[in-house]
Amino acid sequence: MTRDTAELVGEALLRHGVSRRAFIKFCTAAASALALPPGAGLAMAEQLRQRPRPSVVYLSFQECTGCLESLTRSFSPSIEQLIFDVISLDYDDTLMAAAGEAAEAARTKAMKDNFGKYVLIVDGSVPTGAGGAYCTAGGRTAVDMLREAAQGAAAIVCVGTCSSFGGIPLADPNPTSAWPVSAIVSDRPIVNISGCPPIPELITATLLQYVSTGQVPELDSHLRPKVFFGNTIHDRCYRRPFYDQGKFARTFDDEGARSGWCLYELGCKGPTTYNACATVKWNGGTSFPIESGHGCLGCSEPGFWDKGSFYAALPEASWGKAGRTAPHQVLELGAAAAAAGAVLGLAAAGVSRLHQRHSEQSGDQGDGPQGGATGG
Amino acid sequence: MSAPADMLSAHVTPAQERAPEERVAGAMRTFVQEVGALSAFRLESCIHCGICAEGCHFYIATEDPKYTPIWKVEPFKQAYKREASPFAPFFKLFGLKREVSAEQLGQWQHLLFDSCNMCGRCSLICPIGIDVAALIEQARHAMFDAGLAPAELYQKAARQRETGQPEPSAEPYREQLLAIGRRFGVEIPLDRAEADVMLCVPRTDIEQYPSAVAALARVMQHLEASCTFRSDALVAENYGYYAGGKAWQRDISLRLIEQAIACGAKTLLVPECGHAYTALRWEAADLYGRPLPFQVRHVSEFLAEELQAGRLKLKRADTGRTTFHDPCQLVRKGGVNEAPRQLMQALGVDLHELKNHGGFSFCCGGGGGVVDIERAAPLRYRVMENKLREIDDTGAENFLTSCSDCRHTFDDARAHFGWDKSPRSLLELVADNLSSADGRS
Amino acid sequence: MDLLGFARGPALKVAIAVFCLGVVWRIVGFALLRIRRDLSAPRRALLKTLGAGAWTVGTRSWPHPEFIGRTGAGEALGYSYHLGLFAVVLLFTPHILFLRSLFGVSWPGLPSSLITIIAVLTLTLFLAVLFRRITNPVMRMLSNFDDYFSWFINALVLVTGLAATAHVGGPYERLLALHILSVDALLVWFPFSKLMHAFYIFPSRAINGALLARRGAVS
Repeated sequence: MTRDTAELVGEALLRHGVSRRAFIKFCTAAASALALPPGAGLAMAEQLRQRPRPSVVYLSFQECTGCLESLTRSFSPSIEQLIFDVISLDYDDTLMAAAGEAAEAARTKAMKDNFGKYVLIVDGSVPTGAGGAYCTAGGRTAVDMLREAAQGAAAIVCVGTCSSFGGIPLADPNPTSAWPVSAIVSDRPIVNISGCPPIPELITATLLQYVSTGQVPELDSHLRPKVFFGNTIHDRCYRRPFYDQGKFARTFDDEGARSGWCLYELGCKGPTTYNACATVKWNGGTSFPIESGHGCLGCSEPGFWDKGSFYAALPEASWGKAGRTAPHQVLELGAAAAAAGAVLGLAAAGVSRLHQRHSEQSGDQGDGPQGGATGG
Repeated sequence: MSAPADMLSAHVTPAQERAPEERVAGAMRTFVQEVGALSAFRLESCIHCGICAEGCHFYIATEDPKYTPIWKVEPFKQAYKREASPFAPFFKLFGLKREVSAEQLGQWQHLLFDSCNMCGRCSLICPIGIDVAALIEQARHAMFDAGLAPAELYQKAARQRETGQPEPSAEPYREQLLAIGRRFGVEIPLDRAEADVMLCVPRTDIEQYPSAVAALARVMQHLEASCTFRSDALVAENYGYYAGGKAWQRDISLRLIEQAIACGAKTLLVPECGHAYTALRWEAADLYGRPLPFQVRHVSEFLAEELQAGRLKLKRADTGRTTFHDPCQLVRKGGVNEAPRQLMQALGVDLHELKNHGGFSFCCGGGGGVVDIERAAPLRYRVMENKLREIDDTGAENFLTSCSDCRHTFDDARAHFGWDKSPRSLLELVADNLSSADGRS
Repeated sequence: MDLLGFARGPALKVAIAVFCLGVVWRIVGFALLRIRRDLSAPRRALLKTLGAGAWTVGTRSWPHPEFIGRTGAGEALGYSYHLGLFAVVLLFTPHILFLRSLFGVSWPGLPSSLITIIAVLTLTLFLAVLFRRITNPVMRMLSNFDDYFSWFINALVLVTGLAATAHVGGPYERLLALHILSVDALLVWFPFSKLMHAFYIFPSRAINGALLARRGAVS
């Protein structure tokens, strides 16, 4: 898929028969999602058209390919596809036609030709166990490839929770010693677009903004664009009134569930999950998990897989297997602690009584028997 | 031994003098020996709500927080936490509670003796159900062993233990008893070898209300009861109980117990005295070490039983509008609530109950030995104002009671305040209104 | 592990353990001290005595008419905030879910907005109660560190809970973590404090009532 990277974006769009109007529409939608001021979409479109198509290298490590699938999914021709006309995707081992040595050669050339300027997109976590042998391509470990690619990258965009936070491979017991990209690379600007998978619009809008302005959007403490990850699902959830009223679905098909009540009791992690699912939604704004009747899994958060069962409600205690506490564990803990307490109490009472007896024996005998009807 | 100007310092006899460390050691020793599961539970349960103060007439009359009942046992709560509680090691290790000091104990004499009638109202009001009065009783034991029982109580207890009389008298009580019999023309059964009922008298009656002594004898004669006084155990009161000297309390009670056993009595009759009832009915068995081989009855409940059985017949008494003062030890702490009222009903008394009556009655103010403590008098009079007002508020011309110490306390107040009332003894009223089968009294 | 995970994971585990250990230690430690048999002849039969004790548990819940004038307001204040706390702790759905995860039982809750109102009222009563403790001369004299710290820890739980529910004062997961940590702190403090009266109050009333009834005295 290597193209002549000197071609301007506008030229590429023309070649694909994408009208100026359509492209402005695309840019405006992205600008709106990014909460940029009016007119920004038009400016973005005009700027981009004049630019050479930016080189993008997409490296996939320990991933399920869900993130790429999310990006490329289309029921009908999706305007999101236009991103592929804007950028020059010089390497993507899933999408590209070439394979083997030829594919690697294309990557190396693109990185060399655009050194310091290409955007590195990464999905999947990076294993360091067994010297990195858990993930290799062409005999090279993921760690090596990442480090090498990072050197010439202008910015790194981590797509998905695996590359952002380690995701499922990092979950307990983390057999491959998987790490997020930010744990391996620290000297390049990193943007995490987490989610398992992320909403495609978030990826394209962020990319668009970066390639058109050269600026990374404002990020939160987890390096995620604040505009998309600044609120929790709970903050924007349309079922919030039911939460406030205390109307909860108790099982997946009960009266409450059918009435569209809040899914808090069924384990929804909405209150602690930062993402744009409740506003931008999925499949072109069709729906999102809660709207479809299933609680939020919290998939855009670090360690979501280890944070407790998806069906354990947020306030539940979480110190067992899969973070869910079973009543018998509590009983065992309580009983053990109570037994220990009983021993200590026995000891304390024993010491007191010994003290009493000792005092009686050595004390003056004038006190007589220990009577006193109201005493004791 | 004049009372010190500062009421908060200790007032004791020379016999009670000892070094500060000895005082603390004595108090702690007794305290440690006495604390058991129940008193520990009580000390543990206090949540510092201060409601006990609202039941105590010393606090009500003065609004002085130091009279809060549970505060009266504060040094012992402290000692419990430090010495005997389950977390005692922590308290000691981290210095969370200081050791009780001799000065503290000295200051507490006023709180535990001058300002507590041992009336038990605090135990009734506590929302947690702590028997505060019981804790105060235990605290008095510790104070006694610290040599800190008030001088007047200590002296009377010492003398009573030794001689059977709390105070010396010109003539021994035995002779005075017989003289009363002659004066009032009633037979005094004395030192009979065998009797069903053993009698005794409050020495307050011998000295101040001899008609009550005569009334007792007359009533027993009317009932043709097999009864006797015993010279070696004439006095009902127990100053050991007031002073907090448990061993002395036991010795004093033992006199009566041994004499009752000696004459084969089935009933030990407690005359009109409140604390004597507590000491004998409820505490003597434990001090004796085994259940008593006879029943203990207060004269009012004995007479009520005789009334129910039809053996006691009464005429109607004309006392006008009347009220009744419930002696604390008898009613609130002793459980003899109905008997006086059954007797008054049989006598046709026009009874108008006090606002706080029965188990809720306010103490006369003299209980717990307070009336014997000179320096406590000003405080006692202040406290009694409420009670006198309550009695006046019923509009009663007369009021009755069934405890001679209460009578004495009210008469003392009458003199102090110039009050217009004096309590009459229920026993005397019964004795004055006996009716026999043929209508003769 | 993040703060929330810590609060409801290891911290909660330790808190529950310390709570159980401390409560049992304390109760066994004094309950096994000497119990003296009362050798005096009881006025009532044993069964009646025990029944009276049980009855006193209820009757001591409210002052006798003779005492109400002086104690009614204070007791009403005290009970009100207790009732408020019980309602919030036991009838708020997230709490019911928490307890269900510990004990396996659950029950229906009240609407969450109603609970918020009750919690705010309870907090107001809490402040009133502290004011009373500080200004009433008897209570001020009696009060020690235990009284004030127990109040503080309870108030902290209430305040952090309200903050979490209202999503005020920071990111939600931090507010929730602070609330759960304050509950953990409460559990650890509980056995060493006056809060133990929760366990003492019913047996204490029952015992006092029974001992009084044994004598035929009013309780």
